[in-house]
Amino acid sequence: MLKKTPIAAGIAALATIFIAGGCAVADADKSNAVDYTAMTPEELAEHLIFEANGFVLDQEVQEGGTTRQRMVQDDLHKACSVIGGGDPDQETLEAVRAAAAESIVYPEGGIELGDWERGRELAWSGFGYRVGHKTDDHSARDVGGNCYNCHQLATDRTGGNLGPSLTGYGKTRGTSEAMLKYAYDMIYNPHVYFPCTNMPRFGHSGFLDEQAIADIMAYMFDPESPVNE
Amino acid sequence: MFKKALLALPVALALGATAHAEKPPEEVLQDLIDSVDSAYLTQSEQNLLMMADNPAMWTGMDGEDLFHTPRGPNNVSMEACDFGKGPGVLEGAYVELPRYFEDTDRVMDLENRIVHCMTEVQGFAADDPAVARRHGSGSDHMKIQTYIAMQSNGMEWNNPLDHPLEIAMRDAGEVMFYRRSGIADFNCNTCHGESGKRIRASVLPSKDVPQEWTKAMSWPAFRVGHDNVRSSQHRIRGCYWQMRMPRINPDGDASIALMSYWTDASRGQPAILPDMKR
Ligand code: HEC
Ligand code: HEC
Repeated sequence: MLKKTPIAAGIAALATIFIAGGCAVADADKSNAVDYTAMTPEELAEHLIFEANGFVLDQEVQEGGTTRQRMVQDDLHKACSVIGGGDPDQETLEAVRAAAAESIVYPEGGIELGDWERGRELAWSGFGYRVGHKTDDHSARDVGGNCYNCHQLATDRTGGNLGPSLTGYGKTRGTSEAMLKYAYDMIYNPHVYFPCTNMPRFGHSGFLDEQAIADIMAYMFDPESPVNE
Repeated sequence: MFKKALLALPVALALGATAHAEKPPEEVLQDLIDSVDSAYLTQSEQNLLMMADNPAMWTGMDGEDLFHTPRGPNNVSMEACDFGKGPGVLEGAYVELPRYFEDTDRVMDLENRIVHCMTEVQGFAADDPAVARRHGSGSDHMKIQTYIAMQSNGMEWNNPLDHPLEIAMRDAGEVMFYRRSGIADFNCNTCHGESGKRIRASVLPSKDVPQEWTKAMSWPAFRVGHDNVRSSQHRIRGCYWQMRMPRINPDGDASIALMSYWTDASRGQPAILPDMKR
Protein backbone atom coordinates (compact mmCIF):
# COMPACT_ATOMS: atom_id res chain seq x y z
CA MET A 1 0.00 0.00 0.00
CA LEU A 2 2.97 2.25 -0.53
CA LYS A 3 0.94 3.60 -3.40
CA LYS A 4 -1.47 5.32 -1.09
CA THR A 5 0.96 7.60 0.67
CA PRO A 6 0.33 11.19 -0.30
CA ILE A 7 3.77 11.60 -1.83
CA ALA A 8 3.45 8.59 -4.07
CA ALA A 9 -0.04 9.64 -5.02
CA GLY A 10 1.23 13.11 -5.81
CA ILE A 11 3.97 11.80 -8.06
CA ALA A 12 1.57 9.42 -9.76
CA ALA A 13 -0.81 12.26 -10.38
CA LEU A 14 1.93 14.50 -11.72
CA ALA A 15 3.04 11.78 -14.06
CA THR A 16 -0.51 11.42 -15.26
CA ILE A 17 -0.79 15.09 -15.94
CA PHE A 18 2.33 15.05 -18.09
CA ILE A 19 1.18 12.01 -20.00
CA ALA A 20 -2.32 13.27 -20.55
CA GLY A 21 -1.09 16.70 -21.55
CA GLY A 22 -2.56 18.51 -18.64
CA CYS A 23 -6.14 17.53 -19.11
CA ALA A 24 -6.82 15.21 -16.36
CA VAL A 25 -7.23 13.39 -13.25
CA ALA A 26 -6.27 15.41 -10.44
CA ASP A 27 -6.52 12.99 -7.71
CA ALA A 28 -3.72 15.33 -7.04
CA ASP A 29 -3.49 17.04 -3.82
CA LYS A 30 -2.96 20.61 -4.41
CA SER A 31 -4.21 20.82 -0.86
CA ASN A 32 -0.92 21.95 0.58
CA ALA A 33 -0.70 24.84 -1.81
CA VAL A 34 -3.96 26.44 -0.71
CA ASP A 35 -5.99 26.04 2.43
CA TYR A 36 -9.66 25.85 1.47
CA THR A 37 -10.70 26.24 5.07
CA ALA A 38 -9.01 29.63 5.33
CA MET A 39 -11.21 31.07 2.58
CA THR A 40 -14.71 32.48 2.72
CA PRO A 41 -17.26 30.40 0.78
CA GLU A 42 -17.22 33.08 -1.94
CA GLU A 43 -13.44 33.04 -2.19
CA LEU A 44 -13.39 29.27 -2.34
CA ALA A 45 -16.05 29.19 -5.06
CA GLU A 46 -13.98 31.65 -7.14
CA HIS A 47 -10.90 29.58 -6.52
CA LEU A 48 -12.59 26.32 -7.52
CA ILE A 49 -14.01 27.87 -10.69
CA PHE A 50 -10.97 29.81 -11.89
CA GLU A 51 -7.87 28.35 -10.28
CA ALA A 52 -8.54 24.70 -9.50
CA ASN A 53 -9.39 23.29 -12.91
CA GLY A 54 -13.11 23.34 -12.15
CA PHE A 55 -14.20 24.20 -15.70
CA VAL A 56 -12.75 24.18 -19.19
CA LEU A 57 -12.06 27.90 -19.38
CA ASP A 58 -10.01 28.15 -22.55
CA GLN A 59 -12.52 27.02 -25.16
CA GLU A 60 -13.38 29.60 -27.81
CA VAL A 61 -16.91 30.91 -27.63
CA GLN A 62 -19.32 32.01 -30.35
CA GLU A 63 -19.24 35.70 -29.43
CA GLY A 64 -15.41 35.75 -29.47
CA GLY A 65 -13.12 35.20 -26.54
CA THR A 66 -13.11 32.13 -24.32
CA THR A 67 -15.40 30.25 -21.96
CA ARG A 68 -13.68 31.98 -19.05
CA GLN A 69 -15.80 35.09 -19.64
CA ARG A 70 -18.98 33.02 -19.25
CA MET A 71 -17.97 32.47 -15.61
CA VAL A 72 -16.80 36.02 -14.86
CA GLN A 73 -19.55 37.98 -13.14
CA ASP A 74 -20.52 41.48 -14.26
CA ASP A 75 -22.09 44.02 -11.89
CA LEU A 76 -25.60 42.70 -12.45
CA HIS A 77 -24.57 39.10 -11.81
CA LYS A 78 -22.93 40.10 -8.57
CA ALA A 79 -25.85 42.24 -7.43
CA CYS A 80 -28.45 39.58 -8.28
CA SER A 81 -26.70 36.50 -6.87
CA VAL A 82 -28.37 36.14 -3.51
CA ILE A 83 -27.65 33.08 -1.40
CA GLY A 84 -30.90 31.34 -0.59
CA GLY A 85 -32.70 33.08 -3.46
CA GLY A 86 -34.86 36.18 -3.33
CA ASP A 87 -33.94 39.77 -4.07
CA PRO A 88 -31.17 42.03 -2.81
CA ASP A 89 -32.02 45.21 -0.88
CA GLN A 90 -34.00 48.06 -2.44
CA GLU A 91 -30.97 50.24 -3.05
CA THR A 92 -29.25 47.50 -5.02
CA LEU A 93 -32.41 46.86 -7.03
CA GLU A 94 -32.59 50.56 -7.90
CA ALA A 95 -28.97 50.51 -9.05
CA VAL A 96 -29.66 47.45 -11.22
CA ARG A 97 -32.70 49.16 -12.71
CA ALA A 98 -30.78 52.36 -13.43
CA ALA A 99 -27.92 50.51 -15.09
CA ALA A 100 -30.42 48.56 -17.21
CA ALA A 101 -32.07 51.79 -18.38
CA GLU A 102 -28.65 53.10 -19.45
CA SER A 103 -27.89 49.94 -21.39
CA ILE A 104 -30.76 49.88 -23.85
CA VAL A 105 -29.95 50.71 -27.46
CA TYR A 106 -32.81 51.23 -29.92
CA PRO A 107 -32.73 50.41 -33.64
CA GLU A 108 -31.77 53.39 -35.78
CA GLY A 109 -35.05 53.53 -37.62
CA GLY A 110 -37.11 53.00 -34.48
CA ILE A 111 -38.78 49.83 -33.25
CA GLU A 112 -40.34 47.86 -36.08
CA LEU A 113 -42.00 44.49 -36.33
CA GLY A 114 -40.27 41.95 -38.58
CA ASP A 115 -41.33 38.59 -39.96
CA TRP A 116 -43.59 36.71 -37.53
CA GLU A 117 -43.03 33.35 -39.23
CA ARG A 118 -39.30 33.53 -38.63
CA GLY A 119 -40.06 34.90 -35.16
CA ARG A 120 -42.17 31.83 -34.42
CA GLU A 121 -39.21 29.53 -35.02
CA LEU A 122 -36.81 31.75 -33.10
CA ALA A 123 -39.17 31.97 -30.12
CA TRP A 124 -39.25 28.17 -30.01
CA SER A 125 -35.60 27.42 -30.67
CA GLY A 126 -33.16 26.83 -27.84
CA PHE A 127 -30.20 26.70 -30.18
CA GLY A 128 -27.24 28.97 -29.63
CA TYR A 129 -24.28 29.80 -27.41
CA ARG A 130 -24.04 26.34 -25.84
CA VAL A 131 -20.47 25.20 -25.36
CA GLY A 132 -18.55 22.26 -23.97
CA HIS A 133 -19.29 18.68 -24.88
CA LYS A 134 -21.56 19.86 -27.73
CA THR A 135 -20.85 23.31 -29.09
CA ASP A 136 -23.48 25.17 -31.11
CA ASP A 137 -22.20 26.09 -34.57
CA HIS A 138 -23.79 29.44 -35.36
CA SER A 139 -22.95 29.16 -39.04
CA ALA A 140 -25.23 26.14 -39.30
CA ARG A 141 -28.38 27.58 -37.68
CA ASP A 142 -29.86 30.81 -36.39
CA VAL A 143 -29.61 31.52 -32.69
CA GLY A 144 -32.98 31.03 -31.02
CA GLY A 145 -34.63 33.02 -28.24
CA ASN A 146 -35.64 30.23 -25.86
CA CYS A 147 -38.90 32.11 -25.22
CA TYR A 148 -40.99 28.92 -25.11
CA ASN A 149 -38.69 27.49 -22.47
CA CYS A 150 -40.17 29.97 -20.02
CA HIS A 151 -43.35 31.31 -21.65
CA GLN A 152 -46.50 29.97 -23.22
CA LEU A 153 -47.03 31.77 -26.55
CA ALA A 154 -49.24 30.32 -29.29
CA THR A 155 -50.91 27.23 -27.89
CA ASP A 156 -49.94 24.84 -30.68
CA ARG A 157 -46.71 24.20 -28.73
CA THR A 158 -46.20 23.70 -25.03
CA GLY A 159 -44.35 26.50 -23.31
CA GLY A 160 -42.86 26.68 -19.84
CA ASN A 161 -44.08 28.74 -16.92
CA LEU A 162 -40.97 30.32 -15.42
CA GLY A 163 -42.36 33.50 -16.93
CA PRO A 164 -46.00 34.61 -17.41
CA SER A 165 -48.08 33.40 -20.36
CA LEU A 166 -47.74 35.60 -23.43
CA THR A 167 -50.66 34.01 -25.27
CA GLY A 168 -52.69 36.66 -27.09
CA TYR A 169 -50.08 39.28 -26.17
CA GLY A 170 -50.59 41.69 -29.09
CA LYS A 171 -54.34 41.22 -29.12
CA THR A 172 -54.76 42.07 -25.44
CA ARG A 173 -52.03 44.68 -25.07
CA GLY A 174 -52.41 46.43 -28.41
CA THR A 175 -49.59 47.75 -30.60
CA SER A 176 -49.17 51.32 -29.39
CA GLU A 177 -45.70 52.82 -29.53
CA ALA A 178 -45.45 52.61 -25.74
CA MET A 179 -46.38 48.94 -25.80
CA LEU A 180 -43.83 48.10 -28.47
CA LYS A 181 -41.18 49.99 -26.55
CA TYR A 182 -42.06 48.09 -23.38
CA ALA A 183 -41.77 44.73 -25.13
CA TYR A 184 -38.53 45.77 -26.80
CA ASP A 185 -37.09 46.86 -23.47
CA MET A 186 -38.17 43.57 -21.89
CA ILE A 187 -36.36 41.60 -24.53
CA TYR A 188 -33.34 43.90 -24.60
CA ASN A 189 -32.85 44.25 -20.85
CA PRO A 190 -35.79 43.21 -18.65
CA HIS A 191 -34.04 44.46 -15.49
CA VAL A 192 -35.27 47.93 -16.34
CA TYR A 193 -38.78 46.84 -15.22
CA PHE A 194 -37.96 43.78 -13.13
CA PRO A 195 -34.56 44.25 -11.51
CA CYS A 196 -32.88 40.90 -10.84
CA THR A 197 -35.45 39.04 -12.96
CA ASN A 198 -34.70 35.52 -14.14
CA MET A 199 -35.24 36.51 -17.75
CA PRO A 200 -31.99 36.90 -19.75
CA ARG A 201 -30.89 40.24 -21.24
CA PHE A 202 -31.25 39.14 -24.83
CA GLY A 203 -30.32 42.45 -26.45
CA HIS A 204 -27.76 43.74 -23.98
CA SER A 205 -25.79 40.49 -23.98
CA GLY A 206 -25.86 40.22 -27.76
CA PHE A 207 -27.68 36.89 -27.53
CA LEU A 208 -30.24 38.09 -30.09
CA ASP A 209 -29.51 40.59 -32.85
CA GLU A 210 -31.76 43.43 -33.98
CA GLN A 211 -33.41 41.37 -36.71
CA ALA A 212 -34.14 38.46 -34.38
CA ILE A 213 -35.73 40.80 -31.84
CA ALA A 214 -37.87 42.42 -34.59
CA ASP A 215 -39.02 39.01 -35.83
CA ILE A 216 -39.86 37.71 -32.35
CA MET A 217 -41.73 40.92 -31.62
CA ALA A 218 -43.72 40.39 -34.82
CA TYR A 219 -44.61 36.94 -33.55
CA MET A 220 -45.89 38.54 -30.35
CA PHE A 221 -47.75 41.47 -31.95
CA ASP A 222 -48.69 40.72 -35.55
CA PRO A 223 -52.46 40.18 -35.84
CA GLU A 224 -51.72 37.31 -38.25
CA SER A 225 -49.49 35.54 -35.74
CA PRO A 226 -50.90 32.42 -34.05
CA VAL A 227 -50.04 34.07 -30.72
CA ASN A 228 -52.99 36.41 -31.37
CA GLU A 229 -55.48 33.95 -32.77
CA MET B 1 -48.70 -5.62 -9.01
CA PHE B 2 -48.16 -9.37 -9.06
CA LYS B 3 -46.40 -9.18 -12.40
CA LYS B 4 -44.13 -6.41 -11.19
CA ALA B 5 -43.07 -8.40 -8.18
CA LEU B 6 -42.25 -11.41 -10.30
CA LEU B 7 -40.06 -9.43 -12.64
CA ALA B 8 -38.31 -7.51 -9.91
CA LEU B 9 -37.59 -10.50 -7.73
CA PRO B 10 -34.80 -12.17 -9.70
CA VAL B 11 -32.83 -8.94 -9.86
CA ALA B 12 -33.24 -8.31 -6.17
CA LEU B 13 -32.14 -11.85 -5.40
CA ALA B 14 -29.22 -11.69 -7.75
CA LEU B 15 -28.00 -8.58 -6.01
CA GLY B 16 -27.88 -10.45 -2.75
CA ALA B 17 -30.90 -8.65 -1.38
CA THR B 18 -29.97 -7.11 1.94
CA ALA B 19 -32.13 -5.15 4.33
CA HIS B 20 -32.33 -2.03 2.18
CA ALA B 21 -33.66 -3.97 -0.79
CA GLU B 22 -36.85 -4.58 1.15
CA LYS B 23 -38.36 -1.46 -0.26
CA PRO B 24 -37.57 -1.26 -3.96
CA PRO B 25 -36.88 2.17 -5.51
CA GLU B 26 -40.38 2.50 -6.93
CA GLU B 27 -41.84 2.13 -3.45
CA VAL B 28 -39.42 4.64 -2.00
CA LEU B 29 -40.63 7.03 -4.67
CA GLN B 30 -44.28 6.15 -4.08
CA ASP B 31 -43.91 6.99 -0.39
CA LEU B 32 -42.51 10.40 -1.33
CA ILE B 33 -45.37 10.97 -3.76
CA ASP B 34 -47.85 10.13 -1.00
CA SER B 35 -46.15 12.53 1.42
CA VAL B 36 -46.20 15.72 -0.63
CA ASP B 37 -48.16 17.37 -3.41
CA SER B 38 -45.61 17.54 -6.23
CA ALA B 39 -46.07 17.89 -9.97
CA TYR B 40 -42.39 17.01 -10.40
CA LEU B 41 -42.61 13.67 -8.61
CA THR B 42 -45.75 12.62 -10.45
CA GLN B 43 -44.92 13.94 -13.93
CA SER B 44 -44.24 10.56 -15.50
CA GLU B 45 -46.70 7.81 -14.70
CA GLN B 46 -45.05 5.80 -17.43
CA ASN B 47 -41.70 5.86 -15.62
CA LEU B 48 -43.33 4.89 -12.35
CA LEU B 49 -44.82 1.83 -13.98
CA MET B 50 -41.55 0.93 -15.64
CA MET B 51 -39.40 1.31 -12.55
CA ALA B 52 -39.76 -2.28 -11.38
CA ASP B 53 -38.06 -3.26 -14.62
CA ASN B 54 -35.54 -0.44 -14.56
CA PRO B 55 -32.74 -1.32 -17.01
CA ALA B 56 -30.34 0.30 -14.53
CA MET B 57 -30.75 -2.82 -12.37
CA TRP B 58 -28.94 -4.81 -15.00
CA THR B 59 -26.24 -2.17 -15.23
CA GLY B 60 -25.83 -2.55 -11.48
CA MET B 61 -25.56 -6.32 -11.79
CA ASP B 62 -22.75 -5.93 -14.32
CA GLY B 63 -21.17 -3.59 -11.80
CA GLU B 64 -21.36 -6.23 -9.11
CA ASP B 65 -19.21 -8.53 -11.24
CA LEU B 66 -16.73 -5.80 -12.06
CA PHE B 67 -16.50 -4.71 -8.46
CA HIS B 68 -15.69 -8.12 -7.04
CA THR B 69 -13.38 -9.32 -9.83
CA PRO B 70 -9.62 -8.82 -9.39
CA ARG B 71 -8.67 -6.34 -12.11
CA GLY B 72 -5.99 -3.97 -13.31
CA PRO B 73 -2.22 -4.35 -13.33
CA ASN B 74 -2.28 -5.04 -9.59
CA ASN B 75 -4.94 -7.71 -10.02
CA VAL B 76 -6.99 -6.73 -7.00
CA SER B 77 -10.72 -6.27 -6.69
CA MET B 78 -12.39 -3.09 -5.54
CA GLU B 79 -13.16 -4.79 -2.24
CA ALA B 80 -9.80 -3.41 -1.18
CA CYS B 81 -11.08 0.14 -1.64
CA ASP B 82 -12.56 2.36 1.00
CA PHE B 83 -15.69 4.26 -0.02
CA GLY B 84 -15.96 5.91 3.35
CA LYS B 85 -17.10 3.12 5.61
CA GLY B 86 -14.04 0.90 5.42
CA PRO B 87 -12.58 -1.32 2.68
CA GLY B 88 -15.27 -3.13 0.72
CA VAL B 89 -18.15 -1.79 2.82
CA LEU B 90 -20.82 -0.53 0.45
CA GLU B 91 -24.04 -0.59 2.39
CA GLY B 92 -24.98 3.03 3.06
CA ALA B 93 -21.67 4.30 1.68
CA TYR B 94 -23.11 6.32 -1.20
CA VAL B 95 -25.62 8.35 0.82
CA GLU B 96 -22.66 9.58 2.86
CA LEU B 97 -20.75 10.95 -0.13
CA PRO B 98 -19.15 13.33 -0.87
CA ARG B 99 -16.97 13.04 2.22
CA TYR B 100 -13.41 13.75 3.34
CA PHE B 101 -10.84 10.99 2.77
CA GLU B 102 -7.67 11.07 4.74
CA ASP B 103 -5.61 9.13 2.20
CA THR B 104 -6.08 11.86 -0.41
CA ASP B 105 -6.68 14.75 1.99
CA ARG B 106 -9.61 15.65 -0.19
CA VAL B 107 -13.42 15.66 -0.23
CA MET B 108 -14.47 13.19 -2.92
CA ASP B 109 -17.67 12.12 -4.66
CA LEU B 110 -18.37 8.57 -5.79
CA GLU B 111 -16.95 9.04 -9.28
CA ASN B 112 -13.66 10.49 -8.06
CA ARG B 113 -13.39 7.80 -5.42
CA ILE B 114 -13.83 5.10 -8.05
CA VAL B 115 -11.12 6.76 -10.15
CA HIS B 116 -8.88 6.78 -7.09
CA CYS B 117 -9.55 3.09 -6.44
CA MET B 118 -8.89 2.14 -10.06
CA THR B 119 -5.66 4.11 -10.39
CA GLU B 120 -4.14 3.84 -6.93
CA VAL B 121 -5.29 0.42 -5.78
CA GLN B 122 -5.92 -1.53 -8.97
CA GLY B 123 -3.11 0.25 -10.81
CA PHE B 124 -4.99 1.25 -13.95
CA ALA B 125 -3.42 4.06 -15.97
CA ALA B 126 -5.50 7.22 -15.96
CA ASP B 127 -6.10 6.94 -19.68
CA ASP B 128 -7.23 3.32 -19.51
CA PRO B 129 -10.84 3.15 -20.77
CA ALA B 130 -11.85 1.66 -17.42
CA VAL B 131 -10.91 4.98 -15.82
CA ALA B 132 -11.38 7.45 -18.63
CA ARG B 133 -14.78 6.39 -20.00
CA ARG B 134 -17.29 7.95 -17.66
CA HIS B 135 -20.59 7.85 -19.52
CA GLY B 136 -22.99 5.33 -20.98
CA SER B 137 -24.52 2.14 -19.57
CA GLY B 138 -21.70 0.19 -21.18
CA SER B 139 -18.93 1.99 -19.30
CA ASP B 140 -17.26 0.38 -16.29
CA HIS B 141 -17.90 3.59 -14.39
CA MET B 142 -21.65 3.53 -14.81
CA LYS B 143 -21.82 -0.15 -13.97
CA ILE B 144 -19.75 0.22 -10.82
CA GLN B 145 -21.38 3.48 -9.74
CA THR B 146 -24.81 1.95 -10.13
CA TYR B 147 -23.85 -1.15 -8.14
CA ILE B 148 -22.38 0.87 -5.29
CA ALA B 149 -25.24 3.37 -5.24
CA MET B 150 -27.88 0.62 -5.14
CA GLN B 151 -26.49 -0.47 -1.78
CA SER B 152 -27.89 2.79 -0.42
CA ASN B 153 -31.41 2.54 -1.84
CA GLY B 154 -34.02 3.84 0.57
CA MET B 155 -31.44 5.18 3.00
CA GLU B 156 -31.33 8.80 4.07
CA TRP B 157 -28.86 11.19 2.48
CA ASN B 158 -26.38 12.13 5.14
CA ASN B 159 -23.09 13.46 3.78
CA PRO B 160 -20.89 14.20 6.79
CA LEU B 161 -20.13 17.82 7.64
CA ASP B 162 -17.59 17.16 10.36
CA HIS B 163 -14.25 17.81 8.74
CA PRO B 164 -13.53 21.50 8.04
CA LEU B 165 -12.99 20.66 4.35
CA GLU B 166 -16.43 19.06 4.14
CA ILE B 167 -17.98 22.25 5.48
CA ALA B 168 -15.88 24.48 3.22
CA MET B 169 -16.84 22.48 0.13
CA ARG B 170 -20.54 22.42 0.98
CA ASP B 171 -20.54 26.17 1.54
CA ALA B 172 -18.65 26.86 -1.70
CA GLY B 173 -21.19 24.64 -3.49
CA GLU B 174 -23.97 26.79 -2.12
CA VAL B 175 -22.31 29.90 -3.53
CA MET B 176 -22.00 28.16 -6.89
CA PHE B 177 -25.68 27.21 -6.87
CA TYR B 178 -26.71 30.86 -6.54
CA ARG B 179 -23.92 32.36 -8.62
CA ARG B 180 -25.21 34.04 -11.75
CA SER B 181 -22.95 34.56 -14.73
CA GLY B 182 -22.67 34.14 -18.47
CA ILE B 183 -24.47 35.29 -21.57
CA ALA B 184 -27.86 34.13 -20.26
CA ASP B 185 -27.42 35.37 -16.66
CA PHE B 186 -28.48 32.04 -15.16
CA ASN B 187 -27.76 30.35 -11.88
CA CYS B 188 -29.09 26.97 -10.78
CA ASN B 189 -31.78 28.72 -8.78
CA THR B 190 -33.28 30.26 -11.94
CA CYS B 191 -34.76 26.88 -12.78
CA HIS B 192 -34.66 24.98 -9.48
CA GLY B 193 -35.75 27.61 -6.97
CA GLU B 194 -39.51 27.05 -7.04
CA SER B 195 -41.77 24.03 -7.10
CA GLY B 196 -44.15 23.43 -10.02
CA LYS B 197 -42.13 25.38 -12.58
CA ARG B 198 -41.67 24.01 -16.06
CA ILE B 199 -39.17 24.39 -18.90
CA ARG B 200 -41.52 23.73 -21.81
CA ALA B 201 -43.31 20.54 -20.68
CA SER B 202 -40.63 19.31 -18.23
CA VAL B 203 -41.53 19.87 -14.60
CA LEU B 204 -38.47 21.06 -12.71
CA PRO B 205 -37.50 19.89 -9.22
CA SER B 206 -37.14 22.54 -6.53
CA LYS B 207 -34.00 22.48 -4.44
CA ASP B 208 -36.08 23.81 -1.54
CA VAL B 209 -38.53 20.90 -1.51
CA PRO B 210 -36.41 18.06 -0.12
CA GLN B 211 -38.87 15.37 -1.25
CA GLU B 212 -38.43 16.65 -4.82
CA TRP B 213 -34.74 17.25 -4.51
CA THR B 214 -33.96 13.72 -3.33
CA LYS B 215 -35.39 12.37 -6.55
CA ALA B 216 -33.65 15.07 -8.56
CA MET B 217 -30.20 14.11 -7.26
CA SER B 218 -30.79 10.36 -7.03
CA TRP B 219 -28.30 9.24 -9.67
CA PRO B 220 -27.43 6.87 -11.26
CA ALA B 221 -30.75 6.84 -13.03
CA PHE B 222 -31.86 5.36 -16.30
CA ARG B 223 -32.67 8.30 -18.55
CA VAL B 224 -35.38 7.08 -20.85
CA GLY B 225 -34.74 9.87 -23.36
CA HIS B 226 -31.06 8.90 -23.56
CA ASP B 227 -31.64 5.15 -23.35
CA ASN B 228 -28.68 5.04 -20.95
CA VAL B 229 -27.88 5.08 -17.27
CA ARG B 230 -26.56 8.49 -16.28
CA SER B 231 -24.54 9.84 -13.35
CA SER B 232 -24.64 12.94 -11.14
CA GLN B 233 -21.66 14.31 -13.01
CA HIS B 234 -23.49 13.83 -16.29
CA ARG B 235 -26.49 15.80 -15.00
CA ILE B 236 -24.31 18.63 -13.74
CA ARG B 237 -22.57 18.80 -17.10
CA GLY B 238 -25.98 18.97 -18.81
CA CYS B 239 -27.29 21.80 -16.67
CA TYR B 240 -24.14 23.91 -17.12
CA TRP B 241 -24.48 23.32 -20.84
CA GLN B 242 -28.06 24.59 -20.82
CA MET B 243 -26.84 27.57 -18.83
CA ARG B 244 -24.34 28.37 -21.62
CA MET B 245 -21.49 27.94 -19.19
CA PRO B 246 -18.25 26.08 -19.82
CA ARG B 247 -17.86 22.35 -19.53
CA ILE B 248 -17.37 21.38 -15.92
CA ASN B 249 -14.45 19.12 -15.09
CA PRO B 250 -15.70 15.97 -13.33
CA ASP B 251 -12.36 15.59 -11.58
CA GLY B 252 -12.30 19.15 -10.31
CA ASP B 253 -13.34 20.22 -6.86
CA ALA B 254 -15.98 22.59 -8.27
CA SER B 255 -18.26 19.71 -9.25
CA ILE B 256 -17.68 18.02 -5.90
CA ALA B 257 -18.49 21.22 -4.02
CA LEU B 258 -21.77 21.48 -5.90
CA MET B 259 -22.59 17.86 -5.03
CA SER B 260 -21.73 18.41 -1.38
CA TYR B 261 -24.29 21.18 -1.37
CA TRP B 262 -27.00 19.35 -3.30
CA THR B 263 -26.64 16.28 -1.12
CA ASP B 264 -26.93 18.40 2.01
CA ALA B 265 -30.14 19.82 0.51
CA SER B 266 -31.62 16.30 0.53
CA ARG B 267 -30.41 15.40 3.98
CA GLY B 268 -32.81 13.05 5.76
CA GLN B 269 -34.72 12.14 2.61
CA PRO B 270 -34.55 8.59 1.25
CA ALA B 271 -32.43 7.92 -1.82
CA ILE B 272 -34.10 6.35 -4.88
CA LEU B 273 -31.46 4.06 -6.32
CA PRO B 274 -31.41 3.40 -9.09
CA ASP B 275 -33.92 5.97 -10.29
CA MET B 276 -35.57 6.41 -13.65
CA LYS B 277 -35.83 9.81 -15.29
CA ARG B 278 -37.24 11.37 -18.44
C1 HEC C 1 -35.37 31.93 -18.24
C2 HEC C 1 -36.73 32.23 -18.45
C3 HEC C 1 -37.15 33.25 -19.48
C4 HEC C 1 -36.86 33.25 -20.83
C5 HEC C 1 -35.93 32.31 -21.57
C6 HEC C 1 -37.62 34.32 -21.39
N1 HEC C 1 -38.33 34.96 -20.42
FE1 HEC C 1 -39.60 36.52 -20.69
N2 HEC C 1 -39.96 36.59 -18.70
C7 HEC C 1 -39.45 35.72 -17.77
C8 HEC C 1 -39.92 36.09 -16.47
C9 HEC C 1 -39.57 35.37 -15.16
C10 HEC C 1 -40.74 37.22 -16.65
C11 HEC C 1 -41.51 38.00 -15.59
C12 HEC C 1 -40.67 39.14 -15.09
C13 HEC C 1 -40.36 38.94 -13.62
O1 HEC C 1 -41.30 38.94 -12.81
O2 HEC C 1 -39.18 38.75 -13.30
C14 HEC C 1 -40.76 37.49 -18.07
C15 HEC C 1 -41.48 38.53 -18.65
C16 HEC C 1 -41.59 38.75 -20.00
C17 HEC C 1 -42.40 39.76 -20.62
C18 HEC C 1 -43.30 40.75 -19.90
C19 HEC C 1 -44.66 40.11 -19.71
C20 HEC C 1 -45.75 41.12 -19.39
O3 HEC C 1 -46.58 40.79 -18.55
O4 HEC C 1 -45.81 42.17 -20.00
C21 HEC C 1 -42.21 39.67 -21.96
C22 HEC C 1 -42.86 40.52 -23.05
C23 HEC C 1 -41.29 38.60 -22.19
N3 HEC C 1 -40.92 38.06 -20.98
C24 HEC C 1 -40.85 38.18 -23.43
C25 HEC C 1 -39.92 37.18 -23.65
C26 HEC C 1 -39.42 36.82 -24.95
C27 HEC C 1 -39.87 37.43 -26.25
C28 HEC C 1 -38.51 35.84 -24.75
C29 HEC C 1 -37.63 35.16 -25.80
C30 HEC C 1 -36.79 36.04 -26.56
C31 HEC C 1 -38.44 35.57 -23.33
N4 HEC C 1 -39.31 36.41 -22.69
C32 HEC C 1 -37.62 34.63 -22.75
C33 HEC C 1 -38.60 34.67 -18.02
C34 HEC C 1 -38.07 34.33 -19.24
C1 HEC D 1 -32.34 27.01 -17.73
C2 HEC D 1 -32.90 26.13 -16.75
C3 HEC D 1 -31.96 25.29 -15.88
C4 HEC D 1 -30.92 25.72 -15.12
C5 HEC D 1 -30.41 27.14 -15.01
C6 HEC D 1 -30.43 24.57 -14.41
N1 HEC D 1 -31.18 23.49 -14.72
FE1 HEC D 1 -31.09 21.66 -13.80
N2 HEC D 1 -32.55 21.00 -15.04
C7 HEC D 1 -33.20 21.73 -16.00
C8 HEC D 1 -34.13 20.89 -16.72
C9 HEC D 1 -35.03 21.33 -17.87
C10 HEC D 1 -34.03 19.61 -16.13
C11 HEC D 1 -34.86 18.38 -16.41
C12 HEC D 1 -34.57 17.74 -17.68
C13 HEC D 1 -35.70 16.84 -18.10
O1 HEC D 1 -36.72 16.73 -17.41
O2 HEC D 1 -35.53 16.24 -19.14
C14 HEC D 1 -33.04 19.72 -15.08
C15 HEC D 1 -32.68 18.67 -14.26
C16 HEC D 1 -31.84 18.79 -13.17
C17 HEC D 1 -31.62 17.75 -12.20
C18 HEC D 1 -32.21 16.35 -12.25
C19 HEC D 1 -33.69 16.30 -12.17
C20 HEC D 1 -34.32 15.42 -13.20
O3 HEC D 1 -35.43 14.93 -12.95
O4 HEC D 1 -33.75 15.19 -14.27
C21 HEC D 1 -30.73 18.24 -11.28
C22 HEC D 1 -30.21 17.54 -10.05
C23 HEC D 1 -30.39 19.59 -11.70
N3 HEC D 1 -31.09 19.89 -12.84
C24 HEC D 1 -29.47 20.40 -11.08
C25 HEC D 1 -29.08 21.65 -11.56
C26 HEC D 1 -27.96 22.39 -11.06
C27 HEC D 1 -27.05 21.95 -9.93
C28 HEC D 1 -27.89 23.54 -11.77
C29 HEC D 1 -26.84 24.62 -11.70
C30 HEC D 1 -25.48 24.18 -11.97
C31 HEC D 1 -29.01 23.53 -12.71
N4 HEC D 1 -29.67 22.35 -12.57
C32 HEC D 1 -29.34 24.57 -13.55
C33 HEC D 1 -33.05 23.08 -16.23
C34 HEC D 1 -32.11 23.89 -15.63
